[in-house]
Amino acid sequence: MRGYRALIRATARAALTYRFNLLLGLGAVLVQLVSLLAVWRVILADSPVNGFTWPQMRAYLLVAFAAGTMVSLMGDFRMAFRILDGDVALDLVKPIDYQKARFAEAVGGLWIEVVLIGVVVGITLAVTGGVDTPAGSALALFAVSMLLLVPLKFLIVYVSTLTCFWTQNFMGVQWARLAVVNLLSGALIPLAYLPGWLATVAQWSPFAGLTSTPALIFLGRVGVREGLQLVAVQLAWVVVLWFGARLVWRAGLRRLTVNGG
Amino acid sequence: MRTARLYLRLLGAHFRSLLEYEADFLILAVATVLMQVINIVFLAALFAKVPALNGWTFWSVLMMFGLVALAEGVGSLFFDGMWSLAWQINRGELDYYLVRPYPVVLQSSSARIGINGLSNIVMGAIMIGTGIAHVDIGWNPWLVLLAVVLLISSVVIKLSINLATNAVSFWLTSPTPMFAFALHQVGDLARFPLSIYPVALKAVLGVALPFAFISFFPVAYLLDTGQSRWVGLLTPLVAAYCAGVAVFVFKRGLRRYESAGN
Repeated sequence: MRGYRALIRATARAALTYRFNLLLGLGAVLVQLVSLLAVWRVILADSPVNGFTWPQMRAYLLVAFAAGTMVSLMGDFRMAFRILDGDVALDLVKPIDYQKARFAEAVGGLWIEVVLIGVVVGITLAVTGGVDTPAGSALALFAVSMLLLVPLKFLIVYVSTLTCFWTQNFMGVQWARLAVVNLLSGALIPLAYLPGWLATVAQWSPFAGLTSTPALIFLGRVGVREGLQLVAVQLAWVVVLWFGARLVWRAGLRRLTVNGG
Repeated sequence: MRTARLYLRLLGAHFRSLLEYEADFLILAVATVLMQVINIVFLAALFAKVPALNGWTFWSVLMMFGLVALAEGVGSLFFDGMWSLAWQINRGELDYYLVRPYPVVLQSSSARIGINGLSNIVMGAIMIGTGIAHVDIGWNPWLVLLAVVLLISSVVIKLSINLATNAVSFWLTSPTPMFAFALHQVGDLARFPLSIYPVALKAVLGVALPFAFISFFPVAYLLDTGQSRWVGLLTPLVAAYCAGVAVFVFKRGLRRYESAGN
């Protein structure tokens, strides 16, 4: 445990060193926030659509932004390069679990992401007006959902990065993942707007937990009972992916060839 | 003529080496198609619930998305080397380019090929084509010619912005094109009609960084929608201006270049 805590501390300190990378990674999410805010402000100016009013949609987009910014600093690129050029061999000889170590690094970067979320959300609220915060129980459930988002997002990125054992093309895999997550998580558009079958698929996929679940709970669009159910799905995926990732890792290791040096 | 022929040969060499890695090639192509398909799903889902966005229909916004994809695709497929300019400067690789009898800027931009550009060009063309097929435009030979000019100008603007922002690396000397990439992302705002944005953003996208001329203004002119359709006619002028500025920035930057020294 001490080893992992040290990793968390080290990443937390290093986070500032990579602040430009973070801002760059944030760029896409930020641009999406600005354009979607502008789009929905026009659309919802007169009347609500699909039950969403403008203040609700604004809150939804802000939660989506926060959710999209969490765990974006975790250094998946570094992990990919270490697998691709064989440096991962050095990680293998370290007396700590590889997956837990990477998770510790993701957790270490969280603080700077939370600071950035605070700044952007603060500015947006100042410019466009406030949002209604939900009642106590919903707020607690929202907090739990946001916490579960951390391991869930880590695991999705982690598993997709492990594909580097099979392909040289990390970029392609990342683009595909970002695109699929953007749609199926509800970050691009609330799942209620998608065609029924697609919305159902997305709802039960691990991706819904990355935006839709915390956002719907925050908006109070789901009751406490239904909210609990959604959070349970989130938790189930965390467990499944945690152990699934171990299988992928083991399979990947068998494919690993490192040339001596 | 000779310049163009040599350029294609330079790119061809990269293309052949790319074909060596078939799986990578496919992954990148599929990923880019997927990104555009998801854009289309998003637009379809949005416009299924609302008839128009500030007077802009699904088809017109689809065309704007298509134009951005197409311009981006041409940039990746034929001029992807621009994105490695920062690296080339940082590593002193321009030394080799400077002694060869071929324009430095073209050697730099042909240093890489982004095969994802191919799927973006195809998807962009499909989006523009589908959009055009579904809107009512009184076509005549002059308008067709004008549309082609607008399309070429739109691509030139995107390429010029790519070149100018990447050439800023001559001053920043970072090995990665952070600045260019950040502005490239801002360009995604121009996939939506400019009229939905607040004034400050309109000024940025219409004047300071004319991303809106890649997509919005040409479509506004062709579809005769919006309040200022005549602005679309300025697109070729904006393209010429952007190209001039880009070449100027690159030349000034190249004068500052002082190799890596080892």
